[in-house]
Amino acid sequence: MTRPGRRLPSPRAFLFRAIFLLYSSSVPSLLPVLLISFSVAPAASVPASFEAIARQADAARSQDRVQDAIRLYRKGTHLRPSWTEGWWYLGSLLYDQDRFPEAANAFQRLLATTSHRGPAHAFLGLCEYEAGKYDDALEQFRAWAETGWPATPQLRDVAVFHFALLLTRDGKFVESLYLMAPLASRLGDNAELSEAMGLASLRMPNLPENYPPDRRERIWLAGKAALYAAQSPAAFDQADEFAARLEERYPAQPEVHFFRATLYGFEGKKLEAEREYRQELRIAPNDVPSLVALAALDLEKAEVAEAGNLARQAAGADPKNAEAHHLLGRVLFANGDLRASASELEMAKRLAPDSPLIRSHLAMVYTKLGRTQEAKAESATFLTLKRKEEIMASPKDRLGEVREKAR
Amino acid sequence: MRQVLPIAFLAACAVPASMLAGQESSAPSGRSVDQLLQAAVKARDENRQEEAIGLFQRVLSEQPESEQALWYLGTVFYEKERYAEACGLLRQFVTIRPDAGPAWALLGLGEFRLRQYPRALGHLQRAMALGMGDRKELVQAVFYHVAVLLSRAERFDDSMDMLLKMLASGPTNPALVEPAGLAGLRLPLLPAEVTPDRRELVNLAGQAVLALQTQHYEEAESAFRRLASVYPNEPGVHFLYGAYLMELHPDDSVQEFERELEISPSHVLARIRLAEHLITQRDFDRALALARQSIKLDPKRASAHMLAGEALLGAGNAGDGLKELETAREYDPGVSRIHWDLLRAYAAAGRKEDAEREKREIEKLHRAESTRPGNL
Repeated sequence: MTRPGRRLPSPRAFLFRAIFLLYSSSVPSLLPVLLISFSVAPAASVPASFEAIARQADAARSQDRVQDAIRLYRKGTHLRPSWTEGWWYLGSLLYDQDRFPEAANAFQRLLATTSHRGPAHAFLGLCEYEAGKYDDALEQFRAWAETGWPATPQLRDVAVFHFALLLTRDGKFVESLYLMAPLASRLGDNAELSEAMGLASLRMPNLPENYPPDRRERIWLAGKAALYAAQSPAAFDQADEFAARLEERYPAQPEVHFFRATLYGFEGKKLEAEREYRQELRIAPNDVPSLVALAALDLEKAEVAEAGNLARQAAGADPKNAEAHHLLGRVLFANGDLRASASELEMAKRLAPDSPLIRSHLAMVYTKLGRTQEAKAESATFLTLKRKEEIMASPKDRLGEVREKAR
Repeated sequence: MRQVLPIAFLAACAVPASMLAGQESSAPSGRSVDQLLQAAVKARDENRQEEAIGLFQRVLSEQPESEQALWYLGTVFYEKERYAEACGLLRQFVTIRPDAGPAWALLGLGEFRLRQYPRALGHLQRAMALGMGDRKELVQAVFYHVAVLLSRAERFDDSMDMLLKMLASGPTNPALVEPAGLAGLRLPLLPAEVTPDRRELVNLAGQAVLALQTQHYEEAESAFRRLASVYPNEPGVHFLYGAYLMELHPDDSVQEFERELEISPSHVLARIRLAEHLITQRDFDRALALARQSIKLDPKRASAHMLAGEALLGAGNAGDGLKELETAREYDPGVSRIHWDLLRAYAAAGRKEDAEREKREIEKLHRAESTRPGNL
C-alpha cells in the first residue's frame, strides 16, 4: 500500500493542460472564445510571405516542433505586429517552456493588439509572477478581475491562486483567503493550496518562495486547518485538530491565537473565540484585528462600555482602520451620542467606501439626526453594495454602479 | 547533501556529446561564433569565470540557440550560485533538447535553491525518467532532492519509496536520516525547515526507519521504543511505531494505531492499517467500520475503498464489495491488490470476462514495475 490514494495536479499542472488544450492540433475547435473574438488585422498590405509563415508556424505547433513554432511565430508577429493569434501562441508556447520574461513580452504585445483583453491579463499576470515582477503581476490580475475574470476553468483556478498569493504578499489576507476558499473546496487536500492558505491565515505577507524556513511547520498546520474549514461542507473536526496542534506547538507566537479565534468564529463558538482573541492580546497587546474582533463580540453582547474601550484602543493603534472607526461609531450610536457616531462612521466610510455595513449604519444615524436626504443616499448605496458583495470587485467598479444608479 | 551539487562536479561537467548532436553548423557568422565559443570554453576551463561569462553571452547574442553556450553558461551561473540566471538559460536549453536528462536535473536543482519547490520536483522527476547517464553524483543528488520534495508535497509514501531505493543502492548515508524521519512522521518539511526543538524527534524517527529498512532489527526496536517513550503525545509517532510492529508483531500494533487515533482523530492511515489488520483477523464488521470512517475523511482514497470492499466481501456482501473495489480501481488503477481482489470477486461471481481483464491488468502492472525507470 505504498501508492497514495490520490494525487491532485498542482495549479500549474492545470494551466499546462489548459494551454495544451488551447494549442493542441487535435482540437483546433477548442480555440477559446477569447481568440475567436479577437479582431484579426485586415489582410490588406500584408507581405505575401506572412501567410506562408503563419501556416508553417501552425504546422510546427501542431507537430509539436516547439522551437520551430516559436521561431516562426516570432517571425510572423514581426512581419505583422497586429497578428493576435500569433502573439497568443507565441506567449503560450514560451510560457509552457517556463520562459516567462519572453512570454510576458508576447502577452504584452497581445494586449496591445486587441480590445478583448481579459484572459491575456491573466496570462500576463502569471508570466510576471514567474518573472518575479510581483507588483506588475498584481496589477494584471486586478485588471483581469475588472474584466469579469474571463478564462477557461483551468486558467481561472491557476490565475486566482496566484492572484491570492500576491494579495497575501500585499497584506490583503482576508481577500486572499476569500479567493482561495472556493479553490480549496473544489481541489480538496492540496499541498500548495494549504501552504498558501497558511500564509494568509497567519497574516504573513510572504510568498511561498520567500518566507523564513523555520516557519514552515506552523504555516503548514494553519494551512491545513484553513483548508479543511473551507471544504464544503466544512470539515471543522479536521480543521480543529490541526489548529489545536498549531496552538500546542506555538502557544507564544503571534497570530496563532488570532487564527484559532477566527476559526472558532466560523464554527459559531463565540466564547472560545473570545478567549483566543484575548490570548492573542496577551502576546501582542495592540493587535488591531483582535481588538476589533473583541469589540464586535462585546457589542453583540451589549457590553457597550467594554466594546468602546476596545474600539478606541484599536483606532488609536491604527487610525486608518475603518472597522475600528465603524465599531466606535456603533458604540457611540448605542450610547445616544449621534453626532460623534456620525463623525466616526463618516471617517470609516472615507477609509472603506465600499463597505455596505458602514453605509447601513450611517443611514441609521442620519435618520435619527433627521438628515433624511443623506440617509436615503446611504441606504441606496448600501443596497447596491450589498448586492454586489463580490469582495474582489474594485471600489471604483462598485461605486461606478452606485453613480449610475444615482443618475 | 545539503550542498545541492558540488562545484567540482560542475566544473568537470562537459557538455554531453549526446546532448549536442548536429548543432552550430549553420550560423550566419559561423566562424566568428565558433571562435568565440572556443575562447569561452577555454576561459571556463581555465577558471576565468567572468571572462567566460562575457564570451558566452556574446555567443548567445549572435546565436541565441547555441546549445553549448546555453549549457556552459547555465552551469557557470549555477557554480556561482546565480540560480535565477542559471535556470533561465537551462530552461532555454531544455526547450531545444527536451531529452537531456542532466539538464533537467540541473534545472530542477537550481529551482530547488530558488525555493520553487513544485516546479523543481517536476523537473527532477523528468530528469529521473529520462536518465542521467553514469553521473552517479548527479543521480544521487536528484534522488535525494526528489525524496525530500515528495515529503514536502505530502507524498510521504512515495518519498519513502525513493529513500528505500537510495538505501538499497549502497551503504547507509547519514544524510538520509532526517528525510526518513520526516517521511515516517508524515511531516511535510524539508530538513532545512526543521526547527532545532524538533530535530531530535526527527532524527530518532529517521534512525528507527533506516535501522528497520537495513534489517538492523534490534537497533530498530530500540529506536522505536525510545521514540514512543520520549514522545508519547506527538502526532505520527504511534502510527510509525504501529506500522513497524505490524510487520513483526501484528497484534501489538493495534494499541499503537488506537493511541495514534486518540492523538490524531482524523488520521486516515491509522484507520486503514487497523482495518487491514482486522481483515486478516476476519473481523470484518470492525474493519468495515474503520474503512467507512476513512472514506468519510478522505473520499477519494483508493485503499479505503479497497479495504471496505474486502471487508464487505469477507462478510458475504459481494454486490456492495464489488462496487467498493471498482471505486478503488477508479481512484488508483495502479494498485495490484485491487485488481487481485477484483479478479477473485469477478471469478466467484462467474464474470469470466471481467476476471480476465483484471488478470491482464495485473500482468501489465507487473511488467511496468519491472521496467520502471529511475532506479539508482
